Amino acid sequence: MSEKNLTRFFATAAPRALEDYLRTGGYEAARKALSSMTPAAVMEEVKGANLRGRGGAGFPAGVKWGFVPKSGEGPRYLCVNADEGEPGTFKDRYLLAHDPHLLLEGIILAGYAVGIRRAFVYIRGEYEELARRLEEAVSEAASRGLLGENILGSGYSLSVCVHRGAGAYICGEETALLESLEGFRGQPRLKPPFPAAVGLFGKPTVINNVETLTNLPGIVLHGAEWFLGLGKLGDGGTRLYGVSGSVVRPGVYELRVGARLRDIIFTHAGGMLPGRILKAVIPGGMSSTILGPDEIDVAMDCESLAAAGSMMGSAGIIVIDDSVPMLTVLDRITKFYAHESCGQCTPCRVGTSWIRKVVQRMMSGERRPDDLDTLVRLAGMMKGRTFCPFGDAAAGPVLGLIEKFRSELEG
Amino acid sequence: MAKIEIDGRTVEAADGSTVLAAAERAGISIPHFCHHPNLAPEGTCRMCVVEIAGAVKLEPSCATIVREGMKIVTASPRIADARRSVLELLLADHPIDCPICDKAGECRLQDYCRDYGLSESAFGENKTRREKLFRIGDRLLLDRERCVLCTRCVRFLRDVAKTGELGVFERGGRTEIGIFEGIPVSDGYSGNLVDLCPVGAITDTAFRFKTRTWFLEPKPSVCPYCARGCLVDVDIHPGFARHPETGGILRVRPRPDATPAGPWICDIGRYAWIETESRRVRRIVWNKEDREAVLSGDRAFALLGARLRALAETGKGDRLTLVLHSGLTNEEWTDVAEFLGEFAGRPRVRIADPVEDDGDGFLRTSERTPNRRGAAASGVEILPFHPEDDCPHTDLLIVFAGIRGHLDFLERCRPAWSGIAAKALVSPVLTAADRDFDFVFPCAIPYEKSGSYINCDGRRLEFSAVRPAPDEVKAEGEILRLLRAEVRRTAEGR
Repeated sequence: MSEKNLTRFFATAAPRALEDYLRTGGYEAARKALSSMTPAAVMEEVKGANLRGRGGAGFPAGVKWGFVPKSGEGPRYLCVNADEGEPGTFKDRYLLAHDPHLLLEGIILAGYAVGIRRAFVYIRGEYEELARRLEEAVSEAASRGLLGENILGSGYSLSVCVHRGAGAYICGEETALLESLEGFRGQPRLKPPFPAAVGLFGKPTVINNVETLTNLPGIVLHGAEWFLGLGKLGDGGTRLYGVSGSVVRPGVYELRVGARLRDIIFTHAGGMLPGRILKAVIPGGMSSTILGPDEIDVAMDCESLAAAGSMMGSAGIIVIDDSVPMLTVLDRITKFYAHESCGQCTPCRVGTSWIRKVVQRMMSGERRPDDLDTLVRLAGMMKGRTFCPFGDAAAGPVLGLIEKFRSELEG
Repeated sequence: MAKIEIDGRTVEAADGSTVLAAAERAGISIPHFCHHPNLAPEGTCRMCVVEIAGAVKLEPSCATIVREGMKIVTASPRIADARRSVLELLLADHPIDCPICDKAGECRLQDYCRDYGLSESAFGENKTRREKLFRIGDRLLLDRERCVLCTRCVRFLRDVAKTGELGVFERGGRTEIGIFEGIPVSDGYSGNLVDLCPVGAITDTAFRFKTRTWFLEPKPSVCPYCARGCLVDVDIHPGFARHPETGGILRVRPRPDATPAGPWICDIGRYAWIETESRRVRRIVWNKEDREAVLSGDRAFALLGARLRALAETGKGDRLTLVLHSGLTNEEWTDVAEFLGEFAGRPRVRIADPVEDDGDGFLRTSERTPNRRGAAASGVEILPFHPEDDCPHTDLLIVFAGIRGHLDFLERCRPAWSGIAAKALVSPVLTAADRDFDFVFPCAIPYEKSGSYINCDGRRLEFSAVRPAPDEVKAEGEILRLLRAEVRRTAEGR
């Protein structure tokens, strides 16, 4: 498929070895950057490409790098967010499983652009096999002079450390990730200061998602113009759309930014399972607001989805068919957030657990007339009022479900 | 300094100050649970939220640093709604057992709920049951149903006391405060957790169920248990018409300006009064030929005065030995000097303080008495008491024992002074050596005295009596003045 960029060599399920990666132009971007570009030039190229973060918030990566102080003593760090925990999201796993060196090359480019000599990959604990494979890739690259001291004879040095998380969703939030990486309880930090100024071990830190970084080799090799051409104006490149649920071919599909949600479901993922009718779609991971069947002509990019009242998030598309009761969806969603709230701030800690109490009772069949109003009220107490975005992530789906499927839920 | 606008008023705020601190300086109080002026901003209770011009969301004022030109609103319907929702959420699982809660009357949750007109849980589910009597320290109990998870206790132990015994365990609605592997909060500074707890989650067994807080009258004083001189409030129960025990001490707490390090005191300062009070002496005792007789004050001073006069009149003034301690106030040292000025001869003036230790590296000093600097500045020439050297040259020994520690010392002295003809003890508490003395005079505890100390930093700390001493019980200074009057009678008689 012509839209493929990151995944164009993923012919088989087996991970690509360094030899295969090198044969298809691997580490050429790193070679180009380290030999003929200044760090500032790399950063400019990425800014020009308008590469938006693929982790969920969609913040432009180049701009984020720009927040790191230009001068200053002491180390600075790169943290790769591979704590892919958003339900319905499995794109980083796909990249890590197939092409660990693509990530490593992205790490080199980001590190070089920002002047970083130490990178940490915080990978979710369940990705045990992927972490092992990534560590092998790191040794492989180091043995060829592609990581470690004096990379490719350029004088630039970078080491990569792979660190497994312990299974908390909140550690995908960047400051909770830093806390966890430092060995503390995984819970978000107060901002400001932002990690770019005071991050890991108190030092300036860049935190980028796996998929974000894997886009860098292409940008450096082919330029910002090329990258922008892959996507849409102001939102460059392709995205890895993970489709799960009641479709014929669930999986990861790499398509341009701005692909139509309907096409992803009905063309690429093969449409609904036989005999099933589309009832609802969660477009960007579980935290994004659910869309009804009449809302799926939306383009999958940050602006369009925001305009549709949802969000791009991690592009994890969950397709729900007509056989699924919405109360079950509500049950699964609220169970997850009640389980994963870090418990640090009052609205989220109590809000998620009390929403859960109400939904559990509803599931047991004991209904009260004001249940949905109570849920809306509780979600409203969280929305926009919590310490970190978790509260919005937990409140949004509840409010969306009740707004769009109220009559069914009242039944 | 930054010029900022709070609720329409332009005020100056120190650079780096938080919005909450700036508002408080301007006389605007903002409700909060997790914030504490001596702990780092936490920003998690979400009670202190305010509107800041330009910000989309409400911001926690405890964790927002002022900027030049910042416009802040601390009260609006939107803010009230957010704060009320925080309170409603806290009440959702809270037992609302104020009538049996020791914190009632000084509980932030109770106060704020009253401010917002909330008195019961707004949601209809069953409350989550949690451990209500979790012992986290020798004296400390944690009620997890009342806990609002402000983590002040955790942060105090981690950042201030640096012992870190408490931690946050589990997450989400299951989050709870706990200890690690059964290791309880150590004794050094544990009592501060009770003050820090903004609700009734952490209580101490010393105060639990003793009284209601609104009956107490806090009386300012200075802690007498070491040289730090922490400023404390001694909470006195003024008593009821039909209750005999009036004036009882119920609690000792640090004042907001207790020490330059913050409103903290050590557990000795907080709890040692309990032991002191339990050993109080309230009667003057005359141990006469193995029989114990109770004396009136006049008679006792006349008897001891006669012995003093006898020494002076026979030219044996230097065979009087006064053993003092540096818990005496500056004013009492003046009394010492004046007594010596009046007394014929050169008595031995000796000092006997509790043995020093190494302190605890934080507030508690190596000295165990509050006023060694005051003693040194008094001009009275004092040497350490060596019983074996001093006793053989003594015909009349008067020992002033302090509130604590001196007891061991008295025990050790017994062989040396057994041969002395006449001995008197002035002590606020019962001691093992009481029977060795011909006269035992009860004296006031430091909280019953007015005066001043000079603390380990050279600061002069003045204080007033938190309550009068019991009948027949006098401060050491007053006893010295009475003895001086007895001595003067000799001089006049001549």
